[in-house]
Amino acid sequence: MLKKRIIPCLDMKNGKVVKGIHFKDLRDVGDPPEMASEYERQGADEVTFLDISASLESRTTMLDVVSRTAKNLFIPLCVGGGIKTAEDMRLALNAGADKVSMNSAAISNPDVITECAERFGKQCVVVAIDAKLNDGRWEVFTHGGTRSTGLDAIEWSQKATDLGAGEILLTSMDADGAKTGYDVPLTAAVADAVSVPVIASGGCGSMEHIYEVLTLTGAAAALAASVFHYREFTVSEVKEYLRDRGVAVR
Amino acid sequence: MPLIYLTDYGVGNLHSVKNALENCGASVETVTDMSKLADAECVVFPGVGAFDSTMERIAPYREEILKHLESGVPALGICIGAQILFDSSEEGKEKGLGLFKGQVIGLEAERLPHMGWNTVESDDPLLNGTPDRDFYFAHSYRGRPDDQTTITGTTEYENWHIPVIFRRFNTYGVQFHPEKSSISGMKVLKNFIKFGEECQ
Repeated sequence: MLKKRIIPCLDMKNGKVVKGIHFKDLRDVGDPPEMASEYERQGADEVTFLDISASLESRTTMLDVVSRTAKNLFIPLCVGGGIKTAEDMRLALNAGADKVSMNSAAISNPDVITECAERFGKQCVVVAIDAKLNDGRWEVFTHGGTRSTGLDAIEWSQKATDLGAGEILLTSMDADGAKTGYDVPLTAAVADAVSVPVIASGGCGSMEHIYEVLTLTGAAAALAASVFHYREFTVSEVKEYLRDRGVAVR
Repeated sequence: MPLIYLTDYGVGNLHSVKNALENCGASVETVTDMSKLADAECVVFPGVGAFDSTMERIAPYREEILKHLESGVPALGICIGAQILFDSSEEGKEKGLGLFKGQVIGLEAERLPHMGWNTVESDDPLLNGTPDRDFYFAHSYRGRPDDQTTITGTTEYENWHIPVIFRRFNTYGVQFHPEKSSISGMKVLKNFIKFGEECQ
């Protein structure tokens, strides 16, 4: 039976881990390769690096961090932030990433999804969607939740999947940083609408939140950042909590 | 200890497999000249790329490599590297190496790719001593061998039984990624390296 995945996320800027509240007010919390290996020891199923500054300089630093991390990490590593082209993706994969997530570039140039899927296989193409409730529907936002796109999140997730995305990383901008729980209705709606795995992200404040989103929606995985960074609980504690409640985890 | 020739198809990143094998104590040489595979002591076919692009560089040496595998050289194919050991695939037009008779077919499940950690049922010594039987998968196709006895491990996904470990002569094919399967995956690679030694 396929296990539900727990994915610690490291939000990074200039090669350092930071964690923002609503994508602002960033705090520096640690060295990425070391933290990734620690998460593997705790039983993380995968690790995600997100370069949230996405400046050119930051991206070069990011590739170096990815290659240093990959040397001692033996679980999948997903890398995102500022990836615009198939060439960007190739560089990230060559540095040691197993998957690459694309956000705004996939929106401005959807064909890049297909190009990457054909070239590298759809299993390594993740489309990240930041959604926010707006006028009674979930709308896609970019640039850290600051720019509206007019796209409907559910329709966009379906289109991205049709174009070749192998996975959807879905972040609720309403829930992100608030630690009041994942956006269950949004996650359920997207997971039902697409046939690829969906990773729920944004809003995790407790182990119960992870339990909720993994049992009330079709999400294949739950991603969280600050709860793990600040050691509010460990990955192994979440796994035990979920296992005790009948959720299949590794 | 045999020198492992790691096949570089020229389409993807081999570092993770190379890194993992070396971490397990193996000596690894990355091979771009596929003719060298025909006299390798031990071969690993990593799991990157699509079926056709993976076979492209190997195709001209198909017969020699197949003969070498049939003579009992220890080999390990990972994910797509396991799929190219079959005759052909629904994913592409190229001929595979044909060590396993049969085709690679699309997974029947609804949510694809089959991605994440799944439990492998197996008595194969390749999995001896692993702390658990959970391994990392990321695929939409799987081998369907004509000879069921070549299947030595399966997993269950959406109520489908999927064959995920194949063995014939001294060649293994595994559909999961041992190099991404943490401690259990490292143990599989160590077991394979030891198996390679015993084959010598």
